[in-house]
Amino acid sequence: MKEVTIKDKISQGIQDLFYIWKREFRTTFRDQGVLIFFILVPLLYPLLYGFIYTNEVVREVPTIVVDDSRSSQSREFIRKVDATSDVEIKSYCSNMEEAKQMMKDRKAYGLIYIPNHFSRDIAQGKQTQVSIYCDMSGLLYYKSILISATAVSLNMNKNIKISRAGNTTNRQDEITAHPIEYEDVAIFNPQNGFAAFLIPAVLILLIQQTLLLGIGLSAGTAREHNRFKDLVPINRHYNGTLRIVFGKGLSYFMVYSIVAVYVLCVVPRIFNLNQIGLPSTLILFMLPYLAACIFFAMTASIAIRNRETCMLIFVFTSVPLLFISGISWPGAAIPDFWRYVSYIFPSTFGINGFVRINNMGATLNEVTVEYQALWLQAGFYFLTTCWVYRWQIISSRKHVLNKYKEMKAKEQLASREITE
Amino acid sequence: MMEVKQKKYISLWQVIKRECKRLVSRPLYLFCMVIAPLFCYIFFTSLMESGLPKNLPIGAVDLDNSSTSRSILRNLDAFEQSQIVARYESFDEARIAMQRGDIYGFFYIPEELASKAISGRQPKISYYTNNSYLIAGSLLFKDMKMMSELAGGAVARATLYAKGATKDQAMAALQPIVIDTHPLNNPWLNYSVYLCNTLVPGVLMLLIFMTTVYSIGVEIKDRTAREWLRIGNNSMYISLAGKLMPQTVVFFIMSIFYNVYLYGYLHFPCNSGISPMILASLLLVLASQACGVVMIGTLPTLRLGLSFASLWGVVSFSISGFSFPVMAMHPILQALSNLFPLRHYFLIYVDQALNGYSMAYSWINYTALLLFIMLPFTIMHRLKSALIYYKYVP
Repeated sequence: MKEVTIKDKISQGIQDLFYIWKREFRTTFRDQGVLIFFILVPLLYPLLYGFIYTNEVVREVPTIVVDDSRSSQSREFIRKVDATSDVEIKSYCSNMEEAKQMMKDRKAYGLIYIPNHFSRDIAQGKQTQVSIYCDMSGLLYYKSILISATAVSLNMNKNIKISRAGNTTNRQDEITAHPIEYEDVAIFNPQNGFAAFLIPAVLILLIQQTLLLGIGLSAGTAREHNRFKDLVPINRHYNGTLRIVFGKGLSYFMVYSIVAVYVLCVVPRIFNLNQIGLPSTLILFMLPYLAACIFFAMTASIAIRNRETCMLIFVFTSVPLLFISGISWPGAAIPDFWRYVSYIFPSTFGINGFVRINNMGATLNEVTVEYQALWLQAGFYFLTTCWVYRWQIISSRKHVLNKYKEMKAKEQLASREITE
Repeated sequence: MMEVKQKKYISLWQVIKRECKRLVSRPLYLFCMVIAPLFCYIFFTSLMESGLPKNLPIGAVDLDNSSTSRSILRNLDAFEQSQIVARYESFDEARIAMQRGDIYGFFYIPEELASKAISGRQPKISYYTNNSYLIAGSLLFKDMKMMSELAGGAVARATLYAKGATKDQAMAALQPIVIDTHPLNNPWLNYSVYLCNTLVPGVLMLLIFMTTVYSIGVEIKDRTAREWLRIGNNSMYISLAGKLMPQTVVFFIMSIFYNVYLYGYLHFPCNSGISPMILASLLLVLASQACGVVMIGTLPTLRLGLSFASLWGVVSFSISGFSFPVMAMHPILQALSNLFPLRHYFLIYVDQALNGYSMAYSWINYTALLLFIMLPFTIMHRLKSALIYYKYVP
C-alpha cells in the first residue's frame, strides 16, 4: 500500500476545500430560495426600513387647546407653541368635554389647558400652571408636546423675569434671565432622529438573520436531496471536517463581504445617516462579525431538517434580538439574565460595536470588548461547527455502511437461495 | 338532502382529526404555536420589567470644583433616571467614555463657574446626550435640562432669599409659568406598557402567518394536498375550515393567555375591561390566519409563501406605528399601513384597553379586521387549483 505523506494530505485537503467552495458557491447562486435571503432581502429590506423611518422625527403633532384665560398672555403662549415645529394647534375647544371628544375621535393627540387665573397669577407675581394632557399611544407624541410646551414656558418665563427686573442694559437682561447659561448638545445623532438610531442596528441584525436563513435553507436542501437525510453528501471530496467547514465558510464569506459593503456603506449613504467611522476600523471590525455569524449559522443549521423550516424557526427571533442588543432598550436597564443570554448571539456585540464605530466615530480601542468578544465567538462557533460536521460525517458514513451491510446481506441471501 | 349535509359534517370532522394528528406529529408545530409565543411573552415583559429605565450611567466633567458645582452634580445624581458613575478630567476623556459605551451622556461644568455666576459674568454649562441610544438619550436630556435650569435658579434664589422673599415668592419669581404634565393612562411613562401591548400580539401574529402558510404549503410540497382535499369531500371550504380550526383553537388559547397575563397578572392598564381585548385578539387571530391563506394562495410555492409571510409579519412591527407614529411616515406608507392587521389591533388596543373609550369609536378597525377575515374567499379558486395541479419545484 502506498504511504500517504502529510504533504499529500494537505494538498489534497486544499484541493477538496476549493472543490467544496466552488460547489457551495454554485448551489448558492442556483438556488432561488438562498438567493432570496442572500441577495434580495439584504438589497430591499434596508431600503424599506429606511423609507419607513426616513422622516426621522415627528413634526406637527395635532394638539387642541382649552383656553380659559383668554388673555393676551395665554394667546401668546398658544401662538408660540403653535410656532414650534413639534406641535400644531388643530383647534380651540370651549371646554374640556369638547376637547376629550376630539381626542376620542383621533383628531388630536394632545391637549393644552390654560386655567382662567393664568394671566392674573402672572400679574400678581404668583406661580401659575399650564396643564398638558397627552395620548400615550406613542411616546413620541408625548415627547413632542412636552418639549415644545416646556420651551415656550421657559421663553415666556425669561421675558417675565426681565420685565420685572427693571434693568437698564441688554446685558443685564441676559444675566437676569440666565445667571448661568446652558446649552444642550445631542451628540452623535444631532437631529434626534429615529432612523439614525434604529437603522444601523437593523442593518447589522439583518446580516446575521439572513445568514441564518440562507445557510439553514441550504442545509435543509442538502438533507432533502440526501438519501439518508444527512447533511454531508457521500462524495470523496467531503472527507475531512476542516475542508468542509472552511470551503463552505469561504464561499459564504465572499458573498457576504459584498453584501456587507452594500448594507453598511451604501444604504446609510442613501438615507443620509451618520457615517463617521474610519473605513479601516469598520473593515477590521466586520471581519470577526461575519466570521462569527457564518459559523454561528452553520452550527445552528444542524437543527434544520427541511428546506423551509428555518424560516419558521429563525424569522421571529429578529424582534427579540433587536431588543436584547441594548439599542432600543438601554443596555444598562437589561436584567442580568437576559444580558448573559444576549452574549450567545454575534448580533449583540456586532450591533453595539458597529453603532459606536459608525455613529460615534469610535476606533478599535473603544470597542475592544466587542471586538474581542466577536473573535472569541468566531473561534467558539468555528469549533462547534467542526464538531457538528464531524458528527454529521460520522453518522453519514454509518448510514452508508449500514446500507452496504444490508445490501451485502441481501446479496448473500440471494446467492445462497440460488445455490440451494 | 340530510345525507349530503351529514356527509359534509363527517368529512369536516375527518379533516379536523387528520389535522390534529399532523399537528402533534411534528415538534415544529409545537414550537411555532406554543413555545415561541410563550417565550416571547416572557421575554419582552421581563426584559422591560423596570418599566422606565432608572439610574442610567452618566459622567461629569467638573473643571470648577467649587461647592456650587459639586452641589449641582449631587442634585443631578439624585434624579431618578441619571446616576453619575464617573468623573472625567476633560471633555475628550468623557467623549471617549461615551464611545466606549460606559456612559450615555455627561454634564460639563467649566472653570470658574461659581465665581462668574456670583459676579454676574454669566458662565455656561453644557450637557451632552448620546442620542444614538434614543430612549436613554431622551430620558437623560430631560433630567439634565431640568438640572441646568435649576442651576441658574439656585443662584437667583439665593439672592431672592437674601432679599427676604418667601419660598413661594422665590419660586414664582424664578418660574412664573410651570408645565404640569398628564401622560394619560400611563402616568408612569412605563415603556413596557407602551411596547409590550403591541409586541406580544405582534409576535403571535407573525407566528400565525408562518404556521398557516406552512401547514398549507407543506401539503403541496409533500404532494398530500389531493389526499387532504379528498378527505374534505373535495370542497375547498370544508378542507380549509377543517385544517384551520384546530390551529384557531390553539392560537386563541394563546391569545387569551397573553390577555390574562398582561392585564390580569401584570396589571397593565385595561380601562375597557378585558372582554373587548379578548374579542380583538380573536379577530386578530382570525385575520392573521386569513392573511396566511391569502399569502400561500397567491404564492403557492412554500418558500415564496413563507417569504411573503415573513416580510409582512416583520414589517408589521414598524408600520403599525406603535414605536414610530404612522403620522410621521410617507403618505404612501400611511395608506399601506391599513393592510396590516396589527395596525388595526394596535388602534383598537389604544382606544379600548389604554384609553377606555367605548368600542364604537374603533368600529372602523373592527370592520377592517372583519374584512381581512373575508379575504380568503377571493382566493379560494386559485388555491384549490394550486392544491390539485401545482407541482413543487425545489
